[in-house]
Amino acid sequence: MDKKRIIENLGKIVTPSQININSEDLYDASADRYKKYAKVRRVLDVPMPAAIVYPGSAGEVSRILAFCNEYELNVIPRAGKTATEGGLENWKENTIVVDALHLDKILNIDIYNMQATVQAGVPLQKLEDELRKKGFTAGHSPQSKPVAKFGGLVATRSIGQFSTLYGGIEEMVVGLECVFPDGHISRIKNVARRSGGPDIRHIAIGNEGALCYITEVTVKIFRYYPENNRFYGYLVKDVETGIKVLREVMVNGFRPSVARTYSEEDAAQHFYHFHKNRCVLLFMAEGPQGIVQATCQAIEDAVEKFKDGMIEQVDSSLIEKWFNNLNWSQKDIDDEFEEMKRSDSHAGFTTEISADWETIPKIYNNVIQRIKQEYPRAHDLTMLGGHSSHSYINGTNMYFVYNYHIRCEPEDEMRVYHHPLQRIIVEETLKLGGSMCHHHGIGKFRNEWTMEEHGSAYYMLEKLKNVFDPRGIMNFGTIYPQEEGVKYQK
Amino acid sequence: MKIICVVKFVPDVGNMAWDFENNAMTCENIRACKNSRVILNPDDACALGFALQVKANNPDCFIEIVSMGPLSVRPHMEDLLRLGVDRGSLICDPLFDGSDTFATGEVLARYISTRSFDCVLTGSLSLDRGTSHVPVQLAETLCLDQMLGIIRIDLNRFDTTRAVFEVEDDNSVTTYEMAMPSILSVTRESGYKLPYIKLKDMQRDVSDELVIISNRDLCFLETELVPMGSFLENAGTSLQTYDKKKRRVVLNDEEGITSVFNFLKQRGFL
Repeated sequence: MDKKRIIENLGKIVTPSQININSEDLYDASADRYKKYAKVRRVLDVPMPAAIVYPGSAGEVSRILAFCNEYELNVIPRAGKTATEGGLENWKENTIVVDALHLDKILNIDIYNMQATVQAGVPLQKLEDELRKKGFTAGHSPQSKPVAKFGGLVATRSIGQFSTLYGGIEEMVVGLECVFPDGHISRIKNVARRSGGPDIRHIAIGNEGALCYITEVTVKIFRYYPENNRFYGYLVKDVETGIKVLREVMVNGFRPSVARTYSEEDAAQHFYHFHKNRCVLLFMAEGPQGIVQATCQAIEDAVEKFKDGMIEQVDSSLIEKWFNNLNWSQKDIDDEFEEMKRSDSHAGFTTEISADWETIPKIYNNVIQRIKQEYPRAHDLTMLGGHSSHSYINGTNMYFVYNYHIRCEPEDEMRVYHHPLQRIIVEETLKLGGSMCHHHGIGKFRNEWTMEEHGSAYYMLEKLKNVFDPRGIMNFGTIYPQEEGVKYQK
Repeated sequence: MKIICVVKFVPDVGNMAWDFENNAMTCENIRACKNSRVILNPDDACALGFALQVKANNPDCFIEIVSMGPLSVRPHMEDLLRLGVDRGSLICDPLFDGSDTFATGEVLARYISTRSFDCVLTGSLSLDRGTSHVPVQLAETLCLDQMLGIIRIDLNRFDTTRAVFEVEDDNSVTTYEMAMPSILSVTRESGYKLPYIKLKDMQRDVSDELVIISNRDLCFLETELVPMGSFLENAGTSLQTYDKKKRRVVLNDEEGITSVFNFLKQRGFL
């Protein structure tokens, strides 16, 4: 089916105003922030989708997917457009981007039962603003909060900056509605807990648009106690010491909302006003007063226990001020794009992994050493470091952060810089038993390691695809490796 | 035509670490060239960018880059060779460590005097401020004419006999013609850019094109260089940053057109 006929057929499902074939918008829809620099420089090497469609209901999503399924047209589900791992990149000539723009209603805020129901296109910030008016919070605060929308947040198993207290999105979702490629609409009811077989929420949560389209989500809400917020910051001698303190707090049963350790390099770019070329350890405690007091005591005790590695305490108001200005808005994204037009640089890249407490420092050290020794463009690196920002009782994550001078053609940037660096990080992580992606999702550029990530459990992941998307129309190349897509990767 | 580009690798001030305890740049960084966080001095990059334009128009043109620094800048020199530069000469010897600008000028001049060339291109100013007068000293030692602050060189009037170029000062843009050989020092305002390295050349082995020049080649006596340093003393070091130019948007009306016309005229484009 050619693009003209695709659009004609879509016109029988939705109104013309719900179909976007503006060439600039289609160019923008060809790739996400993974290829941000190539996109700005107008050198994207992937095809443009045929159209962007804006359904207004689950029924319309159902009819669109059934149509695409019948004619084997690729579908890229989209909500918020803040993807960073190629999940929204298009690798097929005949592709429909299904955007949740009009699924934008907050359906219910249920204070008594502490849950809120929203459509997939509701911005997280919009729900948070409504909740704050009532003295509540969603507890979810990724850096993309001002831009991100619920469909995308749930589909990518996103995580927020307060996750150590509130958990990742998978711990917040109590029920949802999603549509499968054959047009079937499934509703998973909202209950406090269930024991009715495997937890089928997790088929949709984190599916990255490769199995189904999420149209509605119900999430937990939390009471908001801003007056009790407490902040701590310390300069510490090395990453290992910082991680030991994080572990001490966590394994003793406490859950600060923020618990982070930054390497010297990463600290220098975040905390220019106090880092003194040292690693930085910071905490935030929030919640009911008694819990905050107990958490603060636990933090102070942990710091005392590892005092030999502590250099000095930082004024807590500096930590609070920094945290209040951490999120990036649409303006920040636009500003970065403008800067990339002018200069051979961007704001850098990240690769986020996770492992247990014992393994994380080993992965960090191995990666840094390998990059310095093996990476042939190491002399172009302007920044290489990382931070741990989401902790659990049995381990933590590591967010590798790097930037570089771009010496190659814009279309070669990923091949010359980001891919080889990410490869080292993923290889070292998998070698030591960690997970290659902590919260960005696999997208399209880590799919070559999906099988290694899951090992013998890949069998289950593969079966899900075969059962729910037997014709392979959902987000081609995302999560699942595809031979046809290799040309865009290497 | 043979062009020598004198280049310097300087600390990347955009990524500079500051030693808070000693209120100075960290040792690794201040000694630019002892760590990897260095960049090609922006003005020098413009000069080389122009030279590569000349070569693009005339493939017979031979470009040699000459730099004085530690061996750790080798990967950066190799990248310049991968852009199409024909020869790289890295002057490196323990005797030259810590050379001040006067000594640096003498060392560079002695090496350059052994090479045949039609023109020496350099940057005008150095990002780390310390050695902005090296081009002038080179000219003095090599007995060549020299001009700083060049914002444009006329490609069509740049050959083995003469160069026509424009120099900007606070109030005007002046066109000069200078007989070759001479030293032309280009500013970053020129906008000449280095090309990108092609993907196929990223790993190209260029080791044969890079020559390490030591004092065995230049034969300075130890006593020759040390006293030179006494003429200059570093009073202090500070970070140089470049302000972003203010963006001005004008409308497509009489006032806007006049404004653009005057700008282009002032810059010598009209």
